[in-house]
Amino acid sequence: MARHEKIYLNPTPVRIWHWLNALGIITLTLTGIQIRWPEFLNFFGTYKAAVSLHNTAGIVVSISYLLWIAYYIFVTGSLLKIYVPTVDELKYGLFRQAIFYFFFYFFGKPNPHSPTPENKFNPLQKVTYLMIMLLLLPLVIATGLLIMNIGPLREAIITMGGLKLLDGAHYLIACCFTAFLFIHVYLATLGHTPFAHTKSMWTGWEEGEEK
Amino acid sequence: MVVGLLTVTSAGTVPADVVAQDRCLECHGSRSVISSGKGFLYIDAVKFGETAHSRIGCSSCHDSVTAGHPRDGVRPSRASCKECHAPVVKEYQAGIHAEKAICSDCHNPHTARPAEVVSGTDMNIQCARCHENARTIRSHSGWLPQAELHITALPCITCHTGSENYVINLYIQAHRRDKPHHGYTPATFDELARLAPAGVPVTRVIDTNGDGRVSLEELRAFHRGAANKGMRLWGMMMPEKITHTYQILKNRWDCTFCHASGPKALQTSYVAIPDREGRSIRLPVDKGAVLDLLYGTPDFYMMGSSRSSLLSIIGLVIVACGAMVPLFHGTLRFLTRKNRKETHHGAA
Repeated sequence: MARHEKIYLNPTPVRIWHWLNALGIITLTLTGIQIRWPEFLNFFGTYKAAVSLHNTAGIVVSISYLLWIAYYIFVTGSLLKIYVPTVDELKYGLFRQAIFYFFFYFFGKPNPHSPTPENKFNPLQKVTYLMIMLLLLPLVIATGLLIMNIGPLREAIITMGGLKLLDGAHYLIACCFTAFLFIHVYLATLGHTPFAHTKSMWTGWEEGEEK
Repeated sequence: MVVGLLTVTSAGTVPADVVAQDRCLECHGSRSVISSGKGFLYIDAVKFGETAHSRIGCSSCHDSVTAGHPRDGVRPSRASCKECHAPVVKEYQAGIHAEKAICSDCHNPHTARPAEVVSGTDMNIQCARCHENARTIRSHSGWLPQAELHITALPCITCHTGSENYVINLYIQAHRRDKPHHGYTPATFDELARLAPAGVPVTRVIDTNGDGRVSLEELRAFHRGAANKGMRLWGMMMPEKITHTYQILKNRWDCTFCHASGPKALQTSYVAIPDREGRSIRLPVDKGAVLDLLYGTPDFYMMGSSRSSLLSIIGLVIVACGAMVPLFHGTLRFLTRKNRKETHHGAA
């Protein structure tokens, strides 16, 4: 039977950011649903309340994103190492990890990736988080800020193709986030116990498997 | 006056009053009236000719013009608006605006045009004569998010009269590169006339087949061509029925009133094009134009109501795909749980 050693995987700033971001994304999702389909759904009393909460949550997520990126660039200096996959990971690691999740996992084979503080994500996670954190999140923040300031930024909005296009992009990216949320929460239950990863994101300590 | 009007409408003949008005305009239509220091007596014959009032003639309202006018110094009488427009006056007097302004403060009887041919922008210019724009934006900013945007996209009467249904008027705007911040302002007749083929009505810049309607395909063609010429379509939400019931309506404080009205409330739209005389020619557009993702205007967007159904479906499919992963993987995971006893697998 394998012994378990504890590793400090998630430092305090990252954990604070994660839960603040989670609260923000859930708020944005619920308020966004009411904003788009207000005649069918009313979670927050009035339309104005939903819009105000959506804007506030959007600003909180934007600021926390800036702090997150500043932390990984200036404090730890590990943004590229943690989030950018190597050529080998792209060539072989991605496929190996996908095969594990969709095939070998069901036969009880071990995970080909063991997280360490320096390399805490597997290749599939790296690619996913790279897309989310360095492409989709900045895009959804940028489109959201433009929509929040249509009057003063109208010229920029027109240059980008118009308000409808901008809103469409904001909505579709938000849908990608919501889709990811389902997958993210589910994959978080794939630890040695269903709440092991969630606990790790709360305490910082992950139980690793000693080989 | 009533007799004169009836003559026009029922028999189609020109009343004697209208013939007589030519004589009035000999003096009142001459710019020399302005230079003599009595500009208030000047009547722009072209603008007056466009009004319904010109059809009943000057003496219908000024019926006491003496034979010795103007040398005798007797001031001609003026009819009150109520004599012909009693229902409108009654409606207006029931509202809060009646204490502040009389009819002629907003409507010059010698230039007044039907509401359908006045653009929303022109209506707001009229309101701004008393309700200065910057102050109006400031006073609304306290409770109305993006107040400036709302005030630009809505004539004041959209919220401050009692109409329950709305239509979207689309206006062609031109890019002003010479202005600070490169603003867009309504295109003039001359600017649009330059875009239309020679010898055809200006409306053909968008109604290319000239059938008096704008199809979705014509809208799309306009977007493709006009964008290169610095033109855009800008939408304003107008009351379907224009009334004089000025009031501060409680339900307008609630954003839900407009934003939760749903796409059904935004089916009807028009393209308004200025004509040579400054009127606005309204061409009906195919139903649902402002909602159409590809063919509608890229700039009219009302959160919550002008959403595209196609985009909504695509987004929901993306979310559903995300939700399917836990469902399928979780089912297989449950069925194969015996295969995993001691091994641990990671990662969110």
